[in-house]
Amino acid sequence: MLAMRGIVKSYGAVRANRGIDLDVPAGAIVGLLGENGSGKTTLMNVLYGLVRPDAGSATFRGRPLPLGSPRAALAAGIGMIHQHFMLVPAMSVTENVMLGWRAAGSWLRAAAIAERIVQASRAYGLELDPGAVVGMLPLGLQQRVEILKAVLRGADLLILDEPTSSLSPPEVTALLAVLRRLRDEGRSVIFISHKLGEVLEVCDEVVVLRDGEVAGRRAVAGASREDLARLMVGRDLPPPVERASRAPGAEILVVADLHACDAAGVERLRGVSFSVRAGEIFAIAGVDGNGQAELAEVVGGVAPPTRGSVFVDGAEIVGGVATRLAAGVAHVPADRASVGLVRDMTIADNVVLRDVDRPPFCRRGWLDRDAAREAARRGIEAFDIRAEGVDVPVRTLSGGNQQKVILARELGRGPRVLLAVQPTRGLDPGATRFVIDRVRALRDGGAAILYVSTELEEILGVADRLAVMHAGRLVGVMRPADADLTRLGLMMAGALEEPPDAAALYGVLA
Amino acid sequence: MSVETALVELLAAAVRIATPLFFAALGGILSERAGVFAVGLEGMMLAGAFGGVLAGHLAGSAAAGLAASVAAGVLLALLVAVATVRFGADQMVTGLAVNILAVGLTSFLLRGFAARGEAATLRVPVLAAWPVPGLAEVPVLGVVLFRQPPLTYAAVVFGVLIAVFLARTRAGLTLRAVGENPAAAFAVGVEPARVRLAAVLACGALAGLGGAVLSLQQVGTFTDAMTNGRGYIALAAIIVGRWLPGGTLLGCLLFGAADALQLRVQSLRLPVSSYVIQMTPYVVALVVLAGLGRSARLPAALGTPFRRE
Amino acid sequence: MTAAALARSFAVGGAARPLASAVLGIAVALGTAALLVLLSGRNPVVAYLALLGGAVGTPDRVAVALNKATPYLLTGAGVALCFRARIVNIGAEGQIALGGLAATWLALRLPQAPAVVLPVLCALAGAGAGAVWGGLAALVRLKRRVHEVLVTLLLNFVGVLIVGEVLHGELGEPGAGFPQSPLLPAAGWLPRLVRGTDLHVGILVAVAAVVACHLVLWRTPFGFRLRVLGASEGAARYAGIGAARATLSVMMLAGALAGVAGAIEVLGVHYRLIEGFSQGFGFAAVSIALIGGLSPLGVLPAGLFFGFLESGALAMQRAVGVPTPLVSVIQGLTMIFVLAAMALSAARARV
Repeated sequence: MLAMRGIVKSYGAVRANRGIDLDVPAGAIVGLLGENGSGKTTLMNVLYGLVRPDAGSATFRGRPLPLGSPRAALAAGIGMIHQHFMLVPAMSVTENVMLGWRAAGSWLRAAAIAERIVQASRAYGLELDPGAVVGMLPLGLQQRVEILKAVLRGADLLILDEPTSSLSPPEVTALLAVLRRLRDEGRSVIFISHKLGEVLEVCDEVVVLRDGEVAGRRAVAGASREDLARLMVGRDLPPPVERASRAPGAEILVVADLHACDAAGVERLRGVSFSVRAGEIFAIAGVDGNGQAELAEVVGGVAPPTRGSVFVDGAEIVGGVATRLAAGVAHVPADRASVGLVRDMTIADNVVLRDVDRPPFCRRGWLDRDAAREAARRGIEAFDIRAEGVDVPVRTLSGGNQQKVILARELGRGPRVLLAVQPTRGLDPGATRFVIDRVRALRDGGAAILYVSTELEEILGVADRLAVMHAGRLVGVMRPADADLTRLGLMMAGALEEPPDAAALYGVLA
Repeated sequence: MSVETALVELLAAAVRIATPLFFAALGGILSERAGVFAVGLEGMMLAGAFGGVLAGHLAGSAAAGLAASVAAGVLLALLVAVATVRFGADQMVTGLAVNILAVGLTSFLLRGFAARGEAATLRVPVLAAWPVPGLAEVPVLGVVLFRQPPLTYAAVVFGVLIAVFLARTRAGLTLRAVGENPAAAFAVGVEPARVRLAAVLACGALAGLGGAVLSLQQVGTFTDAMTNGRGYIALAAIIVGRWLPGGTLLGCLLFGAADALQLRVQSLRLPVSSYVIQMTPYVVALVVLAGLGRSARLPAALGTPFRRE
Repeated sequence: MTAAALARSFAVGGAARPLASAVLGIAVALGTAALLVLLSGRNPVVAYLALLGGAVGTPDRVAVALNKATPYLLTGAGVALCFRARIVNIGAEGQIALGGLAATWLALRLPQAPAVVLPVLCALAGAGAGAVWGGLAALVRLKRRVHEVLVTLLLNFVGVLIVGEVLHGELGEPGAGFPQSPLLPAAGWLPRLVRGTDLHVGILVAVAAVVACHLVLWRTPFGFRLRVLGASEGAARYAGIGAARATLSVMMLAGALAGVAGAIEVLGVHYRLIEGFSQGFGFAAVSIALIGGLSPLGVLPAGLFFGFLESGALAMQRAVGVPTPLVSVIQGLTMIFVLAAMALSAARARV
């Protein structure tokens, strides 16, 4: 039904798709499996026309499909349900369905369309009130609106991008039933996911992407979880670096029953407790969006918790960023470009970004720019930052060098605690190694380090103790030596939970 | 004059004064619901007021004046649309720039053709009231509503048309969607840039008509910067009316009443100075806006340029 | 492009780009304006020569231009700082009005005060009044989330009308026939800078204020916070910068500068409070800040340019009959051009 050939798409230096071929037969559910950043979403945005590819072509039902226009994709019979729904929250279900749809009439036939929505929603078991305002609906129902939009327009191929990521288990079950029903009508579905269980449950075949390329293709009958997990993660992992085991140090960072909501009011942290000891790297693994970002923001003072406490050296810290800096908490945030740095400001400015109020960078109310430049020069030296001086805007640096600027700032303070969120994301192997070495050196100097990453390999290499986070909670805590890929993969996918005991959480694992 | 007739007079004046505000505000609704701040209303009104008087004076016909008002408003709107939609320039500041330009351009053209650069006097007959047969004789309401000049009736008609357009047509739905979430509109095959261009141009046409009301219907001539902040008051009325034509009409009437009161304070012999009374519309606007405060929900993508990847 | 992107595109000190786009913009605007002059049946070359002569022809003309530039520099520098924190502040008109009012009131109250002290006290009073007016706008924006363009604009009308009110009441000159205050005591007048011309010391105050704003923006933690806030909200949060406090402070600062400008207009130009003396300064300040690249030092050439342009235009109208509103045409066109150029270069930097 669909054949995509040689799709290439780069974002600057990042090659998201490096020549991908994809075939989807009629009446089949094809799983598109891969880790974050493997290129799944880019590929589907190209197919649906939201993103123009650098190279490649596609045919749909035997006809060439022009890429780069949602209008063409829609007309050909392709519908897409995006991970972040393409809905207008302030409008009703009916209005969202009618948007851009010729059949809705120049004079909108709202009542007739509402009737069709009711009928279709009954037929597919997608109960929905056509008059409801979309923004007030839970995410599961919003997704139904997206599916109805596509189905009512007669889409023969539905693309669902991570459709279960924001659903509760019963909603997932209902969704999978709808997908089977669509397949049984002869439509095809592309199901994008990184959750092995769901893919095995609903798909007919699976295409695994890794680093922008097809890593393998399997019929689901006969494929095993272990096999797919290995394909997804890629290489067999090197054994974790052994290090002399020491007695656990003193508890430095303690987090107790932390709860927090995101900007939309959805609870993203649901009771997280742990401690990190002196000279320890406590690493948190998990798929993006399971609360890791919120955890780091709350511990770093950027966002307030709704419940729970943070202690450093036994003293509770209440307040914003300034209190964390005073307590010696350094923070390498996940979003390097728009949070960790001000891209349009200079290296010197960025090195003092969080310290301008304090000596030596502020004296008698004035910025000491020489002190800032000097600190930047020292940072450039110590962190081997490749830059034409300290007065160039940070945006002119490569990703790795930008990250080193952040490290220079945060580690330059001699912190007691380091929060490092995805510190190696998007970096080349050399820069990755550099960052990890620096973090290790800090640990060896006695700091407590909370290290968040979605890369299992990296977690296993860097952690002294690791936890898996899923849906805002820690679902397992272990030593790297006791971890294996399959077990971690299952935990990350929410298919396995080993509630950690106090000893594991507070750092006295056997 | 009895208090009663004075009050009826006041209400009739409020309706008259609200008319140009409502025209401009209708344009602003279209522009802002498509996601483009309508700060340029003031300038578009001024251009419309000038164009109308100039063409009316030269051609000697009110129809030519109205057409020129629309054209002048659209011309400025085109400038706004190109700068903000095509280039993605800041909508607020672009609007302010267009307003400055309009003040300069109209004043210059008013003087440019006289020998010593003095202001020319352009006079056109004021559009006369059209009493609606029968209804005009109804006590109180007849005077307030049905002895108005033609453009006032036209404003009501436009208000109804735009309300229906926004609520009942697919094009109106598309326009609203572009102002709420252009990415969602793009995902169903809509080109947000085209929708915004059309909306801003329509805004210019309506604001131009609002200017025509001032110059052709109310004064019969053009004076420098004669809009005197009405474009901004229209913006405030839109917020008060929550971007709906009906509510915005009420907002315009509120400001119109404040202004009418101000004009009549001497004849009513109120024990307040005229300057304090002149502040009324502005203070009312501030208080109402501050009172609405956080409850005012603007179109979600208002002010945000849309760029595809 | 949003105001945020606008501020972001100038978060770095690099002055070459804004200067180039401002100069190009002015050139295009002058060219377009020349077409208008041509259209009105006059020779643009003759007109522009008259303008140039009127701007810099004699020391007297230069003095007039510098006096005209003074409020532009003061308000433009403050508005540029506001832009850095993503605030479009068009409130200078009302702040100047109240600043002038406060200065007048104080000068009439203290007719016996010594000559050096009185202007300083009056300027301080003006600064205080302007700061209050600017701070009020900031509070309405912060507490009630009304957009600052509307708040500052409406407060302009109110401020101007307050001046009208007092000129018809306690500060009015009886029997003057025009809404104005009595002549201020000579001790309050600003000293002349150059004997025999109208040039007063205000221009020195303005240049000093511009330099001070430059130092505040680039050399103090407060200015640093403004720049971070304007460049990236996320980074500001991460750096622990409070947006509300910075907004209030910068609006009060800009208000104070405008208030001083109002005091200078009263003490150095009119020697009395006159109705409508602050008209148009709100928009002029925004355009000068913008054309100055949102940088206080950039405001210096931009403000001087428009001071000279305006004073030259007066002479041009007298000599050739080309009307002065041509200045607003040039100003508006330059703004639009600079805005488009900024948006383009911001879009290019994003890739």
